[in-house]
Amino acid sequence: MPRLLPRFSLDPLTQKKLRRFRSIHRGYVSFLILTAAILLSIIAELLVNSRALVVSYEGEIYFPTYGAIHTGKEFGFDYDYEVNYRALAERIAAEPDSDNWMIMPIVPYDPLENCYPGEPFKPRAPTTTEGHYLGTDQINRDILARLVYGFRNALIFSSAFLVFTYVIGITIGCLMGYFGGWFDLGVQRLIEIWSNIPFLFVVIIVASVIPASIGMNLGVLLFIVVLFSWTSMTYYMRSATYKEKARDYVHAAEVLGASTARIVFRHILPNVLSTLVTFIPFTIASSISALTALDFLGFGLPPPTPSWGELLRQGTSNLQAPWIVASAFSALVIVLVLVTFIGEAIREAFDPKKFTIYR
Amino acid sequence: MNHVRPSSFQLRRALLTLLVPFVFTACGKKEDTATNAPNMEADLAATVAAQSDFYLRKDIAELPSDLTWEDGSELPEFADLNAKKGGTFNYYITDFPRTLRTIGPDATGSIRAYLLDYVEPGFLNPHPNIPDGVFPGLADRWAVDHTNRTVYYHIDPAARWSDGKPLTTADVEFTFYFMRSTHLRAPWYNDFYTKSFTNLVIYDDLTFALVHPEDKPDLAARFGNFVPYPRHAYQDFGAGWIERFQWRITPKLGPYQLFEKDIDKGRSVTLTRDKNWWAKDKRFFRGRFNPDRYRLDVIRDPDKTAESFARGDIDMFSLNTPKFWYENINDQHPEVAAGRILRYKFYNQIPRPDWGLWINTAKPRLNERELRIGLHHATNIELVCAQYFRGDAQVMNTRSDGYGWRTHPTITHRKFDPELARQYFAKAGYTQQGPDGVLMNAKGERLSFTITTPSQTLRDVMSILKQEALKAGLEYNLEALDSTTGFKKIQEKNHELGLVALSRSVELYPRYWEMFHGSNAYEDAYLNEAGQVVQTYAEGKPNPNPQKLKVQTNNMTSTFVPELDRLTEAYGKAETLPEIKTLAAQIEQQIYDSAPWINGWATPFYRGGYWRYVHFPQNFNVASSRTQEEFFLHWIDTDERDEVERARRTGETYPADLQVFDQFKRE
Repeated sequence: MPRLLPRFSLDPLTQKKLRRFRSIHRGYVSFLILTAAILLSIIAELLVNSRALVVSYEGEIYFPTYGAIHTGKEFGFDYDYEVNYRALAERIAAEPDSDNWMIMPIVPYDPLENCYPGEPFKPRAPTTTEGHYLGTDQINRDILARLVYGFRNALIFSSAFLVFTYVIGITIGCLMGYFGGWFDLGVQRLIEIWSNIPFLFVVIIVASVIPASIGMNLGVLLFIVVLFSWTSMTYYMRSATYKEKARDYVHAAEVLGASTARIVFRHILPNVLSTLVTFIPFTIASSISALTALDFLGFGLPPPTPSWGELLRQGTSNLQAPWIVASAFSALVIVLVLVTFIGEAIREAFDPKKFTIYR
Repeated sequence: MNHVRPSSFQLRRALLTLLVPFVFTACGKKEDTATNAPNMEADLAATVAAQSDFYLRKDIAELPSDLTWEDGSELPEFADLNAKKGGTFNYYITDFPRTLRTIGPDATGSIRAYLLDYVEPGFLNPHPNIPDGVFPGLADRWAVDHTNRTVYYHIDPAARWSDGKPLTTADVEFTFYFMRSTHLRAPWYNDFYTKSFTNLVIYDDLTFALVHPEDKPDLAARFGNFVPYPRHAYQDFGAGWIERFQWRITPKLGPYQLFEKDIDKGRSVTLTRDKNWWAKDKRFFRGRFNPDRYRLDVIRDPDKTAESFARGDIDMFSLNTPKFWYENINDQHPEVAAGRILRYKFYNQIPRPDWGLWINTAKPRLNERELRIGLHHATNIELVCAQYFRGDAQVMNTRSDGYGWRTHPTITHRKFDPELARQYFAKAGYTQQGPDGVLMNAKGERLSFTITTPSQTLRDVMSILKQEALKAGLEYNLEALDSTTGFKKIQEKNHELGLVALSRSVELYPRYWEMFHGSNAYEDAYLNEAGQVVQTYAEGKPNPNPQKLKVQTNNMTSTFVPELDRLTEAYGKAETLPEIKTLAAQIEQQIYDSAPWINGWATPFYRGGYWRYVHFPQNFNVASSRTQEEFFLHWIDTDERDEVERARRTGETYPADLQVFDQFKRE
């Protein structure tokens, strides 16, 4: 009987599954690429930011990336708001005999700033000379920066979504399976009714009528979306729990006097989890799509939060500037394809039968 | 298997249980609309009798003989008399109408312009090129008696409804009953038709007079341009009229009629021209309303509309948005470069929609004047005008720009100046700058406010303002809601700052009461000696501590300045134009000092494009037009349309043209 994952060495069955996963090259490479992208997005402020990485000015060293802002007056400008590091870089470059130096990130723009102050707001094509590798959007913001930070927002949203829906779904599903009888029947009917509500429509309706005092932010949006999607995990967990409940080790635990919670979470759940893992990538893909769809329609995160849905929307209303829609669309397709490849590979790797023949 | 036949008792019980639900449905109250329809005529008679101090009947012999009757014959026409009639004009509306009613809930949709505002003549109509001119419509002559505050109207004997019945004073009597009835469920109309008139005097079938509580310089134009409702078609008006009349086609006085077969639910509405319209050859109406069929397709998305226009599915399109003018349908567009689509820019003279940030002074912190002035200096509308609108818009001087004179000789907007803004914020106690660049006061409260807008297309403008406000240490949070929710939030006074505009009627002088009077901000703004609520400064004293915010009014800044109210009430009673102008200047000064409205932008022109086969008069349009079609001066040449279609296929080009009409431009 498999135990919960011990700390230092993985159970041989799991090791075998992981080896199988690694052998599916398409999925494994996708996994590596996606993991690299996630790690890079965690340190996005060091790669794509309008703040310098390190500035040495008049003998003092500053690390402006994280932390409080530095005003223009600290660096010899005459204003009180945050200093424009690119302007500072130009000034330092123009004084070759001073000791000042600074390092800017690879893409020196952030997703919220107007990159062409003093010029009309319109989309501009990608150029290498000015560092706008994917061009600018309709109010002069850098598209690459918005893609990267939008990716991060989408990841935060989908991880939180994953955790909440799975915790709620697994708990309720396992309890339904374990208790059976009237509890199971009743909750099943409730879940049937609840899951028949069309998800996107009801999220849009609720999002547009939330009381004005609360406002829309990531937390509220997450709450609404989770409220209408937690039922998805209950089906599988319920049937898996029913199956496990009939096995001898559960009876043994009951006879030994274990409490319900202990039996469910310590004995039944681990056996069900291994197949649960195969659902994760598809849940992430669907939550990224849901967030993008809501942002595209304007019912998701408030402006000016960078998001792919908002970029797609700009792209479709500015088809004369095809780089906007091309970058958002390609990014979305690539990420979803990677996640799908990983999901397929996991499903194949965690398949109990090595060869599945359907007669 | 043990099968037991059910006993007869069980069978009867089962049958009864099945029948029970039907009993309940049969027991429900049935709406018998035929027999329960209200008797409008009886109610009208009762109302006229009860309000006999309003509804007066006099003999035609009592009509004063010393009246100077006018008939507008000295005013110039403004349409092209050689306009060709005929053809189908393809245009669009942004949403399928929720009702065919022109009044009541849901009636202010885009279809109303084509059922009422643009096409139905009023008794008298303001002349669109001459500021205080009035031209006849349903009335063929009228007389104004300023001393007695009365306007006399003589209905044109030729005027008839689209079903052939003549227009008479019975319809006028019905209209006033209708507008003052609580069954209408339109409180603004109830209020207007109660407060603006003291009497309706009917002399005979074609002559009536309206008496007003105050004299105004533009008595005839302001109150004479209403459109009556057909008494014979509203015989079942009363409680529940809204549902009964939701999709009912009622007789019209104008040139375009609607038929059932032309309503394609959810897709389009088509109007048909009445070729025997009674006013077809009358002065001021000939040469207008030229297309035989006016097809309105429902196209919700503005980008899709632009593409439909480029394809030729619709014949005309407004290009006011900078994106459409400079990017989508610009001079490099193939159809524009080939001269098949013509673009124009027309400077008009109208009161501008008052775009701006309406600061809700009822909210904590926003009730401090110094803070509000700081917000003025921290909001960079100049940048929005210069960069977003590409210099096509200008910052408004006052909220009442565009009335033909400068409402205040010197007031102009407060310029964007982060340093100055910081000084004002410091006066309000916000002296420390936090780690994220936002100012804080001693209590640690951040200088952060939310801008709400019901216009999704203004998200970009808000983002620009947010970026610029950071320079002054101010944080703007942005909330772009859909139009209904957003406007409702602002009308419920739940907003902190609202980015919204109210459109303005073309009038001789601005309105202030709705937007700035204290009684529209608080229910208990004014109390009399006994502590009861009164509505005006004149009747009572200002309440130093008002508690009940009044919602669903246009006082979106919750402004309550007693001196301003005193001036506004005097303004409402003013009777001559010079008096009105003097008071307006004083009111504007009060508003400027209180600083609840941050000046937004105004564009002195409108612009658009049209296909070559659409024609306009030589001067293009009239001074008080707000869109190119408002006065229906355009026509289609169907032969030319076929030619242009052919030219698109063969690639033939015409000379391209950008027409700029600045004959009405004012500096």
